[in-house]
Amino acid sequence: MWDSLSLKEIVDHAKDPYPSIRQWVKDTGKRAVGSTFADVPEEVIYAFGFLPVTLMGTNRPLKVAPSHLPDNACSLARSNLELVLSYEGDIFDGYVLPQVCDTTQHLSDIWRINFPDKYVESYLAPRQADRPSARYWVKEEIERIIASLSKWSGKMITDNDLNEAIKVHNENKMLLKEIYDIKKKNPAALTNKELFAMMKLSQQVDKLEFNKSLKKIKDSLKAENGKGYTDIVLVGITCDPPEIYDLFDEIKLNIVGDTLLVGTRYIQGVVNTGGNPIDALTERHFKRGFFTPIHDDVYRNYEEVKALYRETKAEAVVYVHIEFCESQEYDLPDLKNMIKQEGIPIHVLDTEYQTLSLSHVRTRLQAFFESLKGGSL
Amino acid sequence: MSEKLTSRQLSKKITEEYMDEAFHAHELGKLIGYSTAISPVEIFVAHDIIPIYPENHSVANLTAKKGIELCSITENMGYTSHLCAYARSDLAYRKSGITVTKGIPDPDLFLACNAQCFTLTKWFQVLARKGNLPVFVFDTPEHIMDKKAREEIVKYCVLQLKELISFLEDLTKKKFDYDRLKEVMKYSAQSSILYKKFLDMAQYKPSPISIFDALIGMAIAVYRRGTQECVDYYQTLCDEIQAKVDQGIGVLPKEKEKYRLYWENLPVWFKFSDHAKLLGSYGGVILTSLYVHAWSFEFDLDKDPLVTLAENYVSRFSNSTIEDRVDMAMDLFKRYSMNGMIMFMNRSCKAVSFAVPTLKDILTKKTGIPALVFESDMGDQRFYAESQVRTRIEAYFETLDRLQEK
Repeated sequence: MWDSLSLKEIVDHAKDPYPSIRQWVKDTGKRAVGSTFADVPEEVIYAFGFLPVTLMGTNRPLKVAPSHLPDNACSLARSNLELVLSYEGDIFDGYVLPQVCDTTQHLSDIWRINFPDKYVESYLAPRQADRPSARYWVKEEIERIIASLSKWSGKMITDNDLNEAIKVHNENKMLLKEIYDIKKKNPAALTNKELFAMMKLSQQVDKLEFNKSLKKIKDSLKAENGKGYTDIVLVGITCDPPEIYDLFDEIKLNIVGDTLLVGTRYIQGVVNTGGNPIDALTERHFKRGFFTPIHDDVYRNYEEVKALYRETKAEAVVYVHIEFCESQEYDLPDLKNMIKQEGIPIHVLDTEYQTLSLSHVRTRLQAFFESLKGGSL
Repeated sequence: MSEKLTSRQLSKKITEEYMDEAFHAHELGKLIGYSTAISPVEIFVAHDIIPIYPENHSVANLTAKKGIELCSITENMGYTSHLCAYARSDLAYRKSGITVTKGIPDPDLFLACNAQCFTLTKWFQVLARKGNLPVFVFDTPEHIMDKKAREEIVKYCVLQLKELISFLEDLTKKKFDYDRLKEVMKYSAQSSILYKKFLDMAQYKPSPISIFDALIGMAIAVYRRGTQECVDYYQTLCDEIQAKVDQGIGVLPKEKEKYRLYWENLPVWFKFSDHAKLLGSYGGVILTSLYVHAWSFEFDLDKDPLVTLAENYVSRFSNSTIEDRVDMAMDLFKRYSMNGMIMFMNRSCKAVSFAVPTLKDILTKKTGIPALVFESDMGDQRFYAESQVRTRIEAYFETLDRLQEK
């Protein structure tokens, strides 16, 4: 189903992956297990023979989620809740939901209470990452999730199952990285929207199939430098709706680095092979870049953005803020000031699931880049 | 022989002495550790670090209706109005010095325990950046309903408490004294039992205390637990309330106490006394909430102090599942014979409020009691619609009256 997709089909599927996931579940008889952001070890779910699907909101109207989560809750959390309560819940037999902040903690509870007949497990991610206890805890949690999935499914998995799952996932990430590297140097080879559609769909469909599509696409990409592109670094958690990438493409921005969960932070999740797979999955947690709810080093975000900007020789940083994401909202004023003091141009995009007005985003984005290039506002 | 102080006098004396010591901490060779209100502060006390709770300072300013002035300053610094009013008023205080108190001393370090909320962690991170100061995050995963998982969570928390002790030893160049911790724990255990006894006096009819008394009474438990004076204070308070019980003195006279109410969430601080009067005029007394019970610890002194600390802090209502919060609230409904509930959706406190719609649905089903739900903010008056709240309260009591007539 996903093994020979064209770039256009990938973009279409990334926009709405659920019809094909529903069909795949029907055709294969396998179970789909949903998760939300971030850091659920999807390799574990895959090793059980289930399809791990990261839920990333819906653009369809909110009908019931507001009665469970008020309007000052993170718009992605409300959107995901709506997605399963109103639209796509039938696809999933179970969920493994990470808890990384106050909102996701409540979301897990609300989800479990609303799906009494489904499997709903919490993945309790540590909210500190620099002490030995964090390693202990990540390993405990991975082992607990394995035991929980085993109890639910009546199946046991071996190290070999885990290693096979890791291999498929690693291949996916390495392919994405190779394609990203081509794109960085050849901005006209594919659009930002196409690249990030691959990142998104990779976290939602069967990678064993999708990797074949990625390989074909990678091999078909031509070196196309293009002219008039502005290299940027994209910072944040996600960047939605995908039409925002259309805006970047329209004004010829070339994303040469990012910190997104649907981007580099996903690719950074390659797991070491050759040793104990649970140890390797644990170690992976600490290799990934900054994610605001779980990292307690108060300067890490700034250091990473600064280093990425220098390393990629980008011309500006674009920060994607998700409305009502408390973690981002506490970080942003300081981050913005520190970045500005460093002399790095930064533009903040305010996004909100469901209600985003793109014309407003377009105008502000255009104005920022015109001023960056010395044009008048 | 000096006359015995009343609880109010004792509270004032304890608070003044505490703040005086805090303002002279460095002269006394001590450090100031900012702490979340729900955090294993016993470790601080045992290591002679003076705990300061910026939340308490914010409460003083928000109760004095400084919310709009302070929050606006923070919003002009680039922070959104959706953030916790405690945090916003504190960040404004840092910038402007505006406060209705003498202020609070600057921190040397931070202890952020997310059993209360994650907001505090992020807020402390902002403050830490301003002074390049160390932050210790005591991470308490949700107390999920799985026995084995709970055992592992406690192990993880004990590991972290050991890390906290090493962190403090490194910072102060002083060895941690476990015997001193045992002594501190003894005081904490005693004062917690007395504090719970005080709260539970709301079971009497008429109730000698309302939640507003509880909110005033809880202050010493928050900032002086782990000390002898905290034990003395709650002993005095319990004796005073017991005397009221013995004389049949209630918040409202027995014949006027029609509605014994449960309150969900933190209070609307700037409407504190107005709400008490308004509800009283309808025969309503708010007796309790899970919030005030958050400091009713049950430390087991026969256990390793780090284990009993971990078990207690990780299982606070604010870190419990919604199902467990329902059970905790149901226990209060039964024991306190409550016949009404006010569910406050507090824009400032996402950690408590995002559970409220689900909690309300389950509690109304289980008790058969209708709920009054209203949305506002605990400290930012811009989110408080006076006439709307009054109308809803009136309508709610009319509903309760109708139900009682049936």
